[in-house]
Amino acid sequence: MNPVPAIRFVLRSALQNVTRNFGISLASLLTVTLTLLGAGAAVVVVHALDNVLHSEESQASVLKVFLADHVSLQSIMQLESSLAAQHQVVSVQFENKDAAARQGCRQLGLCSALNTLRSTGGGNPLPASLNLKLRSIGAVTTINDEVRTSPLIFQGAHPTDYNPDVIPRLERYILIAQIAGGILVAVIGAVALVIITISIRTAAYVRRREIEIMKLVGASEWFIRWPFIFEGMMVGLASAVVAAAILLGVEYVFGAGHALFLGIGVRFALTVIAGLLVAGAFLGAFGSMVGIRRSLAA
Amino acid sequence: MFRSHHAQPPELPAVRTAPTRPLIVFERVFKTYGNGNPALEDVSFQVRPKDFVFVVGASGAGKSTMVRLLIREEVASRGHVLVDGQDLRRLRRRQLPRLRRKMGIVFQDYKLLPTLTVEQNVAFAIQVTNPGRRHLKEKVAEALYIVGLEDKLLSQPGQLSGGEQQRVAIARALVHRPRIFLADEPTGNLDPDTSWGIVQLLLQINHRGTTVVVATHNREIVDLCRQRVIAMEQGRIVRDEVEGQYMDGAAQAL
Repeated sequence: MNPVPAIRFVLRSALQNVTRNFGISLASLLTVTLTLLGAGAAVVVVHALDNVLHSEESQASVLKVFLADHVSLQSIMQLESSLAAQHQVVSVQFENKDAAARQGCRQLGLCSALNTLRSTGGGNPLPASLNLKLRSIGAVTTINDEVRTSPLIFQGAHPTDYNPDVIPRLERYILIAQIAGGILVAVIGAVALVIITISIRTAAYVRRREIEIMKLVGASEWFIRWPFIFEGMMVGLASAVVAAAILLGVEYVFGAGHALFLGIGVRFALTVIAGLLVAGAFLGAFGSMVGIRRSLAA
Repeated sequence: MFRSHHAQPPELPAVRTAPTRPLIVFERVFKTYGNGNPALEDVSFQVRPKDFVFVVGASGAGKSTMVRLLIREEVASRGHVLVDGQDLRRLRRRQLPRLRRKMGIVFQDYKLLPTLTVEQNVAFAIQVTNPGRRHLKEKVAEALYIVGLEDKLLSQPGQLSGGEQQRVAIARALVHRPRIFLADEPTGNLDPDTSWGIVQLLLQINHRGTTVVVATHNREIVDLCRQRVIAMEQGRIVRDEVEGQYMDGAAQAL
């Protein structure tokens, strides 16, 4: 079979399907657009939430190791080198007692208390520290357990600023967001599939006489199927374009400064567009194959 | 009754006695539908190439089931249906289009596409089976010339009479030059004069070398044509005569 006239016939038939059943095609396009929009929005929100949580996670993966007073600088440098050599440690920064006091004054509002202590000869009670930036949130517990055994470490109630509650909670939030997003996308995808299937089944019903004749004169099943698959793909792709335009338009207009839209750059936007186009084409093609199956079997 | 100039059937095809392989074979065929009622019971017959066969019988006699088995819309419950040596029970689904391309099929309700012109309706059969075929227009024109509608190329089915619509359906069935021409009640919706015109056309097609099987309950036409008649009653063949009539003494006695 010569492919060029065959493709021409298939494309023309697909376009005829859309134009002849314009009302059904339009309804199908709108509903699929809405479902793809929902799926796209779910992906964007999960991505943004993931970004926020990862940002929190990166902050949580900083561990402050408090040092005992009167430890020699040489010992501190040795400890710093041995920590920096570890794979899980990204960087180590030494913070002396004066810097700790300045930070305590600035961040914790301890200025007046520190001044009072200094004026009464009490000195600076805040310890020097090694501030560790770790590769992952999971490494915090390991490093914390390891450094606690060192004799150079401040031997008080809190030798580090490790808070065992924060990390599992963050990890739980990320997991919940990913599962909820996945379920949402799956449910919306299934709805879109059903809608396309119904739409193609309707188109096949409208064209039942044509299908019947094609079968009678000996057209192959794929030849009968292709126009409907193309029709489904066209509806799916058009829906994806409209959904992507709405989604990214909303992001462009309202996104700036909004917490949910943090981290959505051009690259992610392109990924969303590509994802919606692929999802639209796939849903259209798959829904059409399911929708036309009954007509071919009859 | 038919008009006087139609009283004589056209010239009959020459008697063929050469021992050729049968084109259609029904071998002890039974067909029972889902409701349990038997549509065909122990049906056996053969059709040789270039034969013209009427299958006659009242509604429910099994004529349409026979046609449906031949185009493999249905599969025999028992027995074998062979077309051109191929057992249709063993035919795979993907081989079905090839079988159908050997056949031209027309029905009582014409099955034309109302939005297409006469020319487009006929061309459709080629476009969906062999879209790259050369000389499409010429082949369509030739088919329409055979059925006498060469001046109706641009008409739409709705603008044609019932007889003309059936002629378009016949042209569509002929356009890819089938070996077998099947007609299921082709005159069912037509008046006697028009019916006779259609049957003359089928005889012409047969003269050109195509095997023709016509399922009908049109008594007058069958009796005028003096062709082979397979008579059916309640799913069984009750008579098979080389130059038969719709009903003879033997059939009436049954």
